[in-house]
Amino acid sequence: MGSRWTRLVLVSLILLGIQTTVFNDMRPFNVMIPVMLLFAVSAGTLYGSEIGAIAGLIIGVMYDCVLSTPLGLASLVFGAAAYAAGLLPFFVREPTWWTRAITIGIVGAVGELAFPLAQSMVGLSGQFQPHVAGVFAFVIVVGMLVAPLLLPVCRWTLKESIVG
Amino acid sequence: MALLVLTSIILVTLDLQGSAATKSLRSVFGAVFRPIESVARVVTRPATNAWFGITHYNDVTAENELLREKIAQQEGAAVAAAASVRLSQELLALNGLPTLAGINSVSAQVIGDSPSNFVQSVEIDQGTESGIKVGMPVLNAAGLVGKITQVFANRAVVMLITDPQYALSVKIINAPKTTTTTVPNQDPGSTVVSVPETIDPQITVPTVPATSNIPGFTPGTTAAPRTPIISSSLTIPPGSNISVRETGILEGRGVGRVPTVRFVDAAQRFGVVQTGSPIVTAGGSLSLAPPDIVVGTVSRVKERLGTAGPLLEIDIVADLSNLSFVRILLYQPITERTAP
Repeated sequence: MGSRWTRLVLVSLILLGIQTTVFNDMRPFNVMIPVMLLFAVSAGTLYGSEIGAIAGLIIGVMYDCVLSTPLGLASLVFGAAAYAAGLLPFFVREPTWWTRAITIGIVGAVGELAFPLAQSMVGLSGQFQPHVAGVFAFVIVVGMLVAPLLLPVCRWTLKESIVG
Repeated sequence: MALLVLTSIILVTLDLQGSAATKSLRSVFGAVFRPIESVARVVTRPATNAWFGITHYNDVTAENELLREKIAQQEGAAVAAAASVRLSQELLALNGLPTLAGINSVSAQVIGDSPSNFVQSVEIDQGTESGIKVGMPVLNAAGLVGKITQVFANRAVVMLITDPQYALSVKIINAPKTTTTTVPNQDPGSTVVSVPETIDPQITVPTVPATSNIPGFTPGTTAAPRTPIISSSLTIPPGSNISVRETGILEGRGVGRVPTVRFVDAAQRFGVVQTGSPIVTAGGSLSLAPPDIVVGTVSRVKERLGTAGPLLEIDIVADLSNLSFVRILLYQPITERTAP
């Protein structure tokens, strides 16, 4: 079914639909689960820094289009987070599913914190509040929990096409 | 990685410059994504409803009871308030002053929140086709909600007043504090008077009895036996029971934090800001909102040293966590209007 990038766009559209509806309404502890970011980070842990960065850029641009922040901000954060997640093999020789899950949780949380930082870099200050500590802790836990679901989806989405 | 950073920076730069290309990209993506989002909303609605059923059931029940009680209390007051508002609008119109009733508005439905932990905005289903422009104020039945920050053909993004980027000039209507004074040597049932605490020492009520040209009649007296005239030092300024107004700047502070008002001048006439004082928009030729839209009430006053003036925390009257329908005032300040 097409190239890995076509699949990525289609799967990301579906995930974005879920992100903007169900996960936007269901906010445990008043924190939204950043599925799009976790998906981008999953791409990095599975396919390395380079593929992760490109996937993060694509997913981020799509996410940017539904946000009111400047276009390119989420793509920068997602791409950087996925790139960082792709460095996992440098620290763990043969990553298992649970080391990937831990990585997704931690890098996802750092990526979520990087978003207000990126906002402040373009003049949208005021987002660094005590609330971000709760967001950080929550995203670590949720990232680890949803990683076993995201990893197979991401593996299928970005697998090498036999033709093309 | 360098390519990623470069691409992102170019996109950010283009968007901040107001590039037509990025606007078109958002618009096209919105058109493609909207049906997918609608399908996702329909498919996931049972899960969302189940979630709300589990987490909010007790709150909703308690809120329902509270609202029933409030409705019963307010039904009577609403009739009187509506009459007062109408009278006020007629008076303003008679004097050629702007009123909210004279500004056209568009109703819109909220179709989505911002899918982010760090942006306080909502999306509505009306756009440029309905005459909406960037900067227009958005209200709901209770009061001010925010302002339009992005407009597309048939949708728009509303920045909520809790967003740290939001700022607006407002007025604090500080009712003069009243104290109860008991005058001695009088019937206990009829000697309680309320006078404003802010007293102008220049104006004094005469303590001598008034006189009349009618023979045998002295104003203020009755057939009852005369009581000694009490020499009072009370001074009552004319119109001192009228609310005193002062302006300040309202600023949002992000998720879970109430907005604040600062730059309030600690003028002597204005007195000490009281908790519960209403906050309304200030209006003015440069303000993006017309005057007298209700914003909230003062919930806490933080005194500050020096000339900084007090910092006021605000309880917003509009429930921003539960917006369904909003009204966009098609208002543009004089400075923003283009000549035809």
